[in-house]
Amino acid sequence: MRSSSFAAALVAAAALSLVFLLIPIVAIFVELSPGELADGLTSQVARDALRVTAETNLAALALIVLFGTPTAYLLATRSFRGRALLVTLVELPLVLPPAVAGIGLLAAFGRLGLLGGTLEALGIEIAFTKLAVVLAVTYVASPFYVRTAIAAFEAVDPDLVAASRTLGAGPARTFGRVALPLAAGGLGAGLALAFARGLGEFGATIMFAGSFQGVTQTLSLAVYQEFDVDFDLALAIGALLVLASALILFAAKLIPAWKRSNSTSITAFAPSGSR
Amino acid sequence: MSRRRVLGAGALAALVATTASALALAAPGGDGRAGARPLVLAAASLAEVLPRITSEASYSFGSSNSLAEQIRRGAPFDVYFSASPLYTQALHREGLARKPVAFATNSLVVIVPRSNPAKIKTIFDLARRPKLKLVVAGPKVPIGLYTREVLKRLGLLRVLKKTVSLEPDVKGIVGKVALGQADAGFVYLTDVAPVATRVRALRVPERAQPTVVYELAIATKPNDVEGAQELVIAVLGPDGRRQLRAARFGLP
Repeated sequence: MRSSSFAAALVAAAALSLVFLLIPIVAIFVELSPGELADGLTSQVARDALRVTAETNLAALALIVLFGTPTAYLLATRSFRGRALLVTLVELPLVLPPAVAGIGLLAAFGRLGLLGGTLEALGIEIAFTKLAVVLAVTYVASPFYVRTAIAAFEAVDPDLVAASRTLGAGPARTFGRVALPLAAGGLGAGLALAFARGLGEFGATIMFAGSFQGVTQTLSLAVYQEFDVDFDLALAIGALLVLASALILFAAKLIPAWKRSNSTSITAFAPSGSR
Repeated sequence: MSRRRVLGAGALAALVATTASALALAAPGGDGRAGARPLVLAAASLAEVLPRITSEASYSFGSSNSLAEQIRRGAPFDVYFSASPLYTQALHREGLARKPVAFATNSLVVIVPRSNPAKIKTIFDLARRPKLKLVVAGPKVPIGLYTREVLKRLGLLRVLKKTVSLEPDVKGIVGKVALGQADAGFVYLTDVAPVATRVRALRVPERAQPTVVYELAIATKPNDVEGAQELVIAVLGPDGRRQLRAARFGLP
């Protein structure tokens, strides 16, 4: 009896939150018959958008892993003046409005932008190409990976790293044989989070890359374009995005569970000192 | 009372209070919609001129067809401004809007960035530049519709093959050209002034100009009847006409 009102408050708040979060998702599937879903997903627009999304996101994820992993390792294992500032910089796209990211990318890599002339001289064409989508996705999705990767590297027992060094392994070998395998669960989770964010990327892409079927039109852009052309098609692509995002997010929770049982995607936002 | 019970009751009260204040934002006249101002859904090309005619309204700008679709899906509105009679007339037929009134006309121009990377001097150059980056809007967006009409009348429809992006509304086209990402785009004459320092406008021959008529329509059941009527009177009245003309709109 003593704690019953508190328990009631908890249950009421939780129930309301869940209902609020679920209603829009349920509504998508209620408005859509399985036949319409199948028709929508086999349409040319959806298939082109799926291909563009897959190609650009895979390329973006490759870039994120290739450059994000060393960055995260450096930030996780070295302490130096200005480290907090660098971590903030790495995290910034996480909270930046996508429209601001789009404007920034235009100002930097646009044809009349800061690096536009240099890129043109090098023969690199970005405007309205898949490369523009890849850059936009990489920019907005990378913090999700790097942030989680920093936490994962910080969670590696420093004694193990020290032992590896005393046993004669060089820093590169220690990174490859000790730190990387131990952090693999966290890195996988971070990658899944970055993928989920990249899949939903809209604002920076439409501003920086434009929208053209089969070239730059990703699934999220196709939903927006089809909204007033073919609403059922927009719903069908929306349903696909819901399912894919849910699957990826769930995977992000399962991956670190291989290593540790109590991990959730919250680690992506936990303060950097936490273990 | 035990501390725990106080805490529990406090938490419950906080939940109720927060939910109630959130709902209050949605109530008519609540803070969620800035007082009793009429809610206006308007074509993107009116984004500069309408707030100058009256600031006593809450504006939402987008492509006319997107806005019409939002209205069909139940979006609340008091007055709808369309860049094509197509959408006002359709909403009127469907019983969602009162009888539409024409209030402005417009014409089309081709814009190129000041630096003019594709060296476009006339509209016919669009067909002569194989690597042109052209931005247009989708065939359901009014500006996209008019663009296709112009190109058809000039026998230049093949130019559409050089499209690199289908923009959601006319402001998307203006932005892509003004920032130099695209080589050329079709926009309304009235879109040029705000970006005059960044773009050059090329005329579209008179014989190819489509009839661009803007219509407004009051909702069948507006939330704010008086506000909606005052707004329409302001737009159709002498001040509205002066502002429209200053923004280079034509008058019907």
